Amino acid sequence: MTPDEVKYDVVVVGGGIAGQEAALNLANSDQQVLLVEKDLSIGGHMIHLSKVFPTLDCGACITTPKMSETVRHPNIRVSTFSEFTEIERLSDGTFTGLLTRHPKYVIEKDCTGCQDCEDACPVVVKDQYQYGLVGRKAAYVPFSISNPRVAAIDIENCILCGACERACPADAIDFTQKIEKTKVSAGTVIIATGFNLFDPDVIEKYGLGKHRNVITSMQMERQLVPTRPYNNVLRPKDGKMPDNIAYVLCVGSRDQTLGNPICSQVCCMYSAKQGQLLMGALPMADVTIYYLHIRAFGKGFEEFYQQSIGMGVEYVKGKVGTIDEKENGDLVLRYEDIREGSIKEATHDLVVLSVGMLANPEAGTLFMNNALELDEFGYIRQVDMLRNPASTNIEGVFVAGTASGPMDIPDSIASSGAAAAEALSYLKRKS
Amino acid sequence: MKKRIGVYICECGSNISDYVDVEKVRDAVKDEEGVALAKITMFACADSTQQEIVNDIKEEKLDGMVVASCSPKLHLFTFRNVAERAGMNKYNYVQSNIREQVSWAHSDKPAEATEKAIRSVKAAIARAMLSEALVSPVISSENVALVVGAGIAGMRTALDMANTGTKVYLIDSDHFVGGRTAQWGEIFPTGETGREVITGFYDEVIKNENIILHTGCKAVSKAGSVGNFDIKLKIGSRGIKMDAAASGDFDERLEKAIAACPVSVADDFDFGLTNRKALYRSDGRMPALPVVDRENCTKCGECVKICPEIDIQIEETYEEIKVGSVIVATGFDPYEPSEGEFGYGEINNVITLQQFRRLIEISGEKLTYGDREIKTIAWIFCVGSRQTGVLKGENKYCSRHCCTSGIHAAVLARKKFDGITNIHFTRGVRTYGKLETIYEESSVAGDIYLQSYDDSVPVVSHENGIINVKVDDILTGDREMEIDVDLVVLVTGMVPRADKTIGDIMKIPTGLDKFFNEVHPKLKPVETVMDGIFLAGTAQGPKNITETLNVSHSAAIKAHALISGGEIELEPTMAKIDKKLCEWCGKCLEACPFKSIDKEEYEGKTVAVVNTSTCKGCGMCLPPCPVNAIQLTGFSDREIISMIDALAE
Amino acid sequence: MSSILVFSTEKISDPAIDLAGLLKQHYPPTVYTISVPCSSGIKPAWIMHAFEKGFDGVFIAADGTDCPFSETCTEKTAEIVARTHEIMEEKGMDKARLRMAAICSVCSQAFVKQVSGFSEYLEGSD
Repeated sequence: MTPDEVKYDVVVVGGGIAGQEAALNLANSDQQVLLVEKDLSIGGHMIHLSKVFPTLDCGACITTPKMSETVRHPNIRVSTFSEFTEIERLSDGTFTGLLTRHPKYVIEKDCTGCQDCEDACPVVVKDQYQYGLVGRKAAYVPFSISNPRVAAIDIENCILCGACERACPADAIDFTQKIEKTKVSAGTVIIATGFNLFDPDVIEKYGLGKHRNVITSMQMERQLVPTRPYNNVLRPKDGKMPDNIAYVLCVGSRDQTLGNPICSQVCCMYSAKQGQLLMGALPMADVTIYYLHIRAFGKGFEEFYQQSIGMGVEYVKGKVGTIDEKENGDLVLRYEDIREGSIKEATHDLVVLSVGMLANPEAGTLFMNNALELDEFGYIRQVDMLRNPASTNIEGVFVAGTASGPMDIPDSIASSGAAAAEALSYLKRKS
Repeated sequence: MKKRIGVYICECGSNISDYVDVEKVRDAVKDEEGVALAKITMFACADSTQQEIVNDIKEEKLDGMVVASCSPKLHLFTFRNVAERAGMNKYNYVQSNIREQVSWAHSDKPAEATEKAIRSVKAAIARAMLSEALVSPVISSENVALVVGAGIAGMRTALDMANTGTKVYLIDSDHFVGGRTAQWGEIFPTGETGREVITGFYDEVIKNENIILHTGCKAVSKAGSVGNFDIKLKIGSRGIKMDAAASGDFDERLEKAIAACPVSVADDFDFGLTNRKALYRSDGRMPALPVVDRENCTKCGECVKICPEIDIQIEETYEEIKVGSVIVATGFDPYEPSEGEFGYGEINNVITLQQFRRLIEISGEKLTYGDREIKTIAWIFCVGSRQTGVLKGENKYCSRHCCTSGIHAAVLARKKFDGITNIHFTRGVRTYGKLETIYEESSVAGDIYLQSYDDSVPVVSHENGIINVKVDDILTGDREMEIDVDLVVLVTGMVPRADKTIGDIMKIPTGLDKFFNEVHPKLKPVETVMDGIFLAGTAQGPKNITETLNVSHSAAIKAHALISGGEIELEPTMAKIDKKLCEWCGKCLEACPFKSIDKEEYEGKTVAVVNTSTCKGCGMCLPPCPVNAIQLTGFSDREIISMIDALAE
Repeated sequence: MSSILVFSTEKISDPAIDLAGLLKQHYPPTVYTISVPCSSGIKPAWIMHAFEKGFDGVFIAADGTDCPFSETCTEKTAEIVARTHEIMEEKGMDKARLRMAAICSVCSQAFVKQVSGFSEYLEGSD
C-alpha cells in the first residue's frame, strides 16, 4: 500500500450514467470528486444501448458527451478498472476507503488507442461488450466509444507472446504493472453501482444457449446500435435475416420462483422501442410482443407504446410457457392467450427474451463489516423515501440510480440529482 | 473573414449516414472557400474525436469550425468547449443540424436529404467565415431563489438551496403549506402519513434562517432574466393579526369564533366531502393560524366579537424581490371527471380516488358514504388518463401513479375496515419496479382484478338503489362480468393545475400532455427553455412522492450551481447600432421589450445606443429601424444573406 | 420541387422542427431552415433576398404566445409580414409566397402540415 493518503470531498462509486450525473452535479458545485469505475471504461450499461425511449435519441449521442465532460471536468478525477472498498465512516462523519487500481498492462497516458496491439494479438475470445455476439482480442480497446479510449491486456487470456509489445508504436505496453492500492478519505460517498442483467440461462424452458435463435434483449440491442457487429439484424444460427420476431417479456422479473418478484420497469419500453427500430431495420418483418401488463408509465411512454402499435408491432397478452426449436431453426412458442382463454402455439424465426434487472450484489460488500443495508431484493435500502430518497442507513452515504432499484434512464438521472443534492447538504452541514 | 475552417461531418453512428451520403457531402464542401480540412467522423461528440478536433485546430491553425451533426440543442456547448480547449474562440464554431432536420426528417428521400445536407453545411461554412471572436458578457447574479409552491416539491427544493447558502423565497398561493401531500393519510411504501411528512418539512422551513415563507402569495409579474429576475409578489391577507396566537386563550376563543361563523362552504381540502366555515383552519395544517375566506365571508362580524384579533380589513401587500433563479413547483390537480363519466355526478356513490383517500381519513370505525355502509368497492382505473379508443378526452398520457395509489387505497380500506371486498377494473396494472409489491399484497389478500381494453370499458349503471358495474373481462376470455357494488371509486390521474398564471408569467412552454416541459428528459431534465427557470415535482408531469423528491433535489442542485457563484456567463448575442447611420427616431426603443435603448450624442447628432447589460438579443429592434442601422451579433445582414445564398445555390 | 426558406426561432419553433425529424414526420426536403432568436427580429430585406435568390416561398415559424421575450411578438411578427407583403405587392409578386404561423415548441405536426401545405400551394401556382 502506498503511504500517501488522498483526500476528496466526494467519492462516487460507479461510472454509469447515474455516477457521472452525480459527479457532474457535485463538481459543478465546486466539490472535488473521485469517480471510481470497475470496468475499463466509464459509461455503464447506457453506452451500449442503441436508441433510448421515449425520445429515440441514440444512447451514445447522450452518453459520450457526458462521459467526455466527466473525464475532462477540472473537479473530477476518474479512476477506471478500479474498486473502492473497505469504506468506513469515521467518528467525525467523514469516510475512508481503499482505492484499488488493477493493472491494464498499458500505460494509459501513452496509449493513443490506435489498436495496433489488437491487430497483432493472436488470441481471440468472446467480446463481452458485444454480449458475446462476436470476438475480440486479448489486447484490446474495450469498445470504439470507450472513455478512456486506451487499450488493456486481458491477462487471463493473454498468452504472453509479446506481439502487442512489439507492435505498439507508443511503447505503452507494460507487463510489469502491479495492483496499486491507495487510501482515500472523503467527506461523503455516493454509491452508483447500478444493476446486473438477469441471465436467462437458468430458465431452461426458454432454451437460451440451446436454441441458437433465442437471444437476449441486450444481444438484440447490440444488433441495433450504430456500432453493431454485423451491420444488420441477423439470427445467430444461420445468419438469416429474421422476418417474424417474438419478444417474451418479464423474463426474470415478476417471478417469485426466481426470487425476483418485482417488475424491472424498463423491459416493456425497451421492447416497444426495439420493435419500432426493427420496423425500420427490417421493414418486412413482423414483431410480436408477448406480455402480461405493459408498463408504459413515464412521461411520453404511453404515447410511445401507442406509436409502436401504430407502426405495426403486435401485442399479445399471454404468458409464454415453452420454446422449442424446429429443424430449420425456427422456434415454436407455447403460450396462454389470455384474451382468448386458450393455450396456443406460434412459430417465430427469432425469439428475444426481454431480460430484467437484478440488484448488483457488489454494493453490499463495499463497506467494512458489510455495514450498508440492503432491502429484501438486494438493492440498497432507501431509509427515508418520503424526505431524502437518496439516504441510506449510513449517514453521509447516498445512493444514485439503479443501485436502489430498477429504474429507467430519466429516473436514474433524477435520483442522481437527489444523491448529489443530499451529499452537498451533508458536506455543507459538516463544514 | 476566416481563412481556415475545419469541417466535420458526423455519421452519428448510422443515424445520419444511413440516409445522407456523408462522403458526397464531404466532397461537395471540401473545396469551398475557407475550408482547410473536411472530415467524416463516426461520432463527432465522442471523446477521441473531440481530441482529434482539438489537435486539428492546433496543428492546422484553424480559425473557424463547423460540425454537421445533430441539433445544436444537444451539442452546441459540447463543441464550443472543444473549440475553447484548442484555444479557438468558441463563437467561431457553427453547428449544422443534418440529423433532426435532414437525415431523420427526410429518411424517406436519401438523395434529396444528401442535397439538403450539402447546402446546409455550406450555409454553416458561410456563417463560420463571417463569425467573429466574441467575449461572453459576465453578469453578477443574486444568490437568491424564488420557489413557487410550498408542497413537498417546493419545500424540498427550498430547504436544499437554503442549506447550501442560498436565500430562498418560498411562496404558496394557498394559506397552508403542504400542497397535495398534506391531504393524504398513510403513504406507500413507508406508511407515514402525509401530515407527518409535511409537518416535518414545515418545521425545518420555519427554523431555516435562509427561507422566507409567504403563504397566500402569488407571483404577479416577472421582469429581467437569469441572475437578476425582478419579481413582484402579491401577499394575501389571512384576515387576522399575525401575532394573534400570542394571547394565551386565543385557541379557545378561536374555536368559539369558528363555531359562530354562519357560513358553510364545501371544503376543497376534503374535495368537497365536508363543509367548512368562512373562518377556518384545518386540523394539523400549517401554519396553524386560521384564515378568513374573504370570498365567502358575509362580514357579519360574529367572529370578531369573540376574537378581536380577526380583522378582515387587513389588506394584501406587495413586495418586489430580486432573484437569480426561479423554481416552479406548483404541482397538479386531480382529474375531475365530467358529468356522467362512469356515472360521476349522476349516480350517488361514484367518487374519485382523491375523495376516497380523504374519506378514509375522516371516517370513523365504519366506512360509510351517502348513508350507506361500504362493503364492496369497484375501482375503475385510468379515469382521465390514456384516453384512447372509446374513451373521449384529450389526455393521452398514462398518469403513472394512479395504479399504485388506487391499489394502495384499496389495501388501506381493507385493513382499516371490516369486510371490504375490492374489485379492480383495470386496463392493465402498471405497478412498475418495486411498486409491484403492493399489487402482490392486494392480490394475496383477495382483491379481484378484471381487465378491459380501450375498445370496451366498464359501464356503471344504477337502478333501484343498486349500483352495478359491467365489463367484458379479457382475463377470462372476454366474458361479460357484472357486479353490484356499494361504492365506485374512479381512479383519477393527475392533470396540470387549472391555474396557469405562473406558466404565463414565467413563459414556460408546455408539452403535449399540457404539463410544463423540460428541455430534454435526459440532458436537461429539470431545466426549461427559459434560462434560470427550473421545474420541480408534478408541475412537470405525474410522479409519486419519491420521484417528486428526486427531481426537486435535482432542481435545487442545478439552480445552486447556476447562481451560487455570483456570476453568470451570458450569450453575447446583442443588438448593435451603427451610429453613422442612426438618425434618432425612437422606433427601436418603442420595439424593445426590455427598454434597453438609450440616447447618446454622436458627432453633433442624437443616436441610439444599446444598454448591453439589459439587452437580451431578441432582435425586435431590427425590423422597425428605417435606416437599417441595427445589426444583431451572430445574425448580421451579412451572415444571414450569406446563409441564404448558400442554401439557395 | 418548390423550395421554401423557413425562419425558425431558437427556443420555440426550432425544437418543434427537430421533433418532426425525431418522429420521422416527413416534409419536403427542399424546406431549409435558418434559426434566429425571435421571429420579431426578421428583417423584410432578408425575406426579399430569399425570393431574389430563387426561393419559391418563405415561411416564418413564429414564436406566437410562447415567445420568451415579449407578449407583443405575434403582433410584431405580423407587422413584419404585412410590411413585406407591401413590398411584394409593389413588385407584383404573389403575397401568398410569404406565410407565417405560430409553431409551439412541441408542434411538430403543425409544422409539417404547414410546410407541406405551403409546398403544395407553391407547386400549384408555378
